[in-house]
Amino acid sequence: MEQSNTPQLIELGRTRETILRDIPDGPDSCLTCGICSGRCMATGIDGFDTRKIVRMAMLGMEEELVGSRWPWICTMCGRCQYVCPMDIDILGLIRTIRSLRNQDDVPGNLHKGIMAALKTGNNFSIPKDDFILIMEDVAEEFAEEEGFQDFKFPLDKKGANVLCTVHGKLPFANTDDMKFWWKIFYAAGEDWTVPPENWEGVNWAIYTGNDEAMKTMVGRIVENMEKLEAKNLLLPE
Amino acid sequence: MATRLGLQKWFPDFFNKYGVYTVFDLMIKYIKEGRIKVDRSSHPELATYHDPCNYGRKSEMFFGHGYFKEPRWLMDQCCENWVDMYPNRHHQFCCGGGGGSWLTPYNKERVFCGRRKVDQIKATGAKLVVAPCHTCNDQLKKSLKKEYHLDDLEVKYLWEVVADAIVTA
Repeated sequence: MEQSNTPQLIELGRTRETILRDIPDGPDSCLTCGICSGRCMATGIDGFDTRKIVRMAMLGMEEELVGSRWPWICTMCGRCQYVCPMDIDILGLIRTIRSLRNQDDVPGNLHKGIMAALKTGNNFSIPKDDFILIMEDVAEEFAEEEGFQDFKFPLDKKGANVLCTVHGKLPFANTDDMKFWWKIFYAAGEDWTVPPENWEGVNWAIYTGNDEAMKTMVGRIVENMEKLEAKNLLLPE
Repeated sequence: MATRLGLQKWFPDFFNKYGVYTVFDLMIKYIKEGRIKVDRSSHPELATYHDPCNYGRKSEMFFGHGYFKEPRWLMDQCCENWVDMYPNRHHQFCCGGGGGSWLTPYNKERVFCGRRKVDQIKATGAKLVVAPCHTCNDQLKKSLKKEYHLDDLEVKYLWEVVADAIVTA
């Protein structure tokens, strides 16, 4: 596996004021016990070590952490934090480190997807007309199955009991996987709906630490609830 | 989870105006109210359940309730024969695909992180693993299955298990 170029000599700069050291429930109470590292699936990849991350934050090594790929290898599963005897907010620390990276340098498709979502309302930039066509197509296919003949996809229905978002990957590439919930709703006789715009249920901004984008995306779900006068929200899968 | 977290943080009033269901609540409600009927014989093979970090451990940490019992109740209704992995619930191993890692170029690392999950599944001898979270499901079905040669393993969503177990009167 690729090795990062860790500098030989590093200025520890204990007096440097950094955002990371000052986050609430932050690294300053770390006992360096290492249970976090022992619980972690990523320990050892390219020297990855949760305890070191916490320690580096404490020592003010912000630049090194922000530039490192460590915070992006972490799967944010929380096994470390769950058992931390000092209740350090390790997930918050990882997310804050991620947020400090220039967002254009975020690895992979995370930031690109967020930008797409802000612009188009979904992570895969599916235009509204295409989305409606896809859903109608899949609904037609579904209605051909035994027992679902009168199924109609309840797009944009006012006053529904349950409003659902859609996981962007489903209309994009896994349309058959949408039918499971359709089948359950149909059998239960549920009165449900999906909004025609801003239907994305997945919020990638939680991973990059981009609070502004995260709030915008959540706010759109609230707007859809108001607009469609829905009674209940099914939290995204 | 991001949505619930965001609603709590920025739109707390939402919970006074609207009802909120998790996927678990809704499926359990339908079964308990008799609105759907499910048959355990739809899944006779040995199955196991993967607790996604977001629905389990992290829900407990962020919302004060982890969804551990609910999916297990649903498994009981829809599968004849299923066992837990070890460790499970709060201490469940991560599938390796979380935190956006599915979307970064660090694929080798993501597959490596999933090795313990694979060991855990193998140890159960299950032919079916149920993973509700979309990311866990992708990681298991589209990556780990191939990388670790789990050719005979079937991966399903929890709502897929419920949908497949529905019997129409």
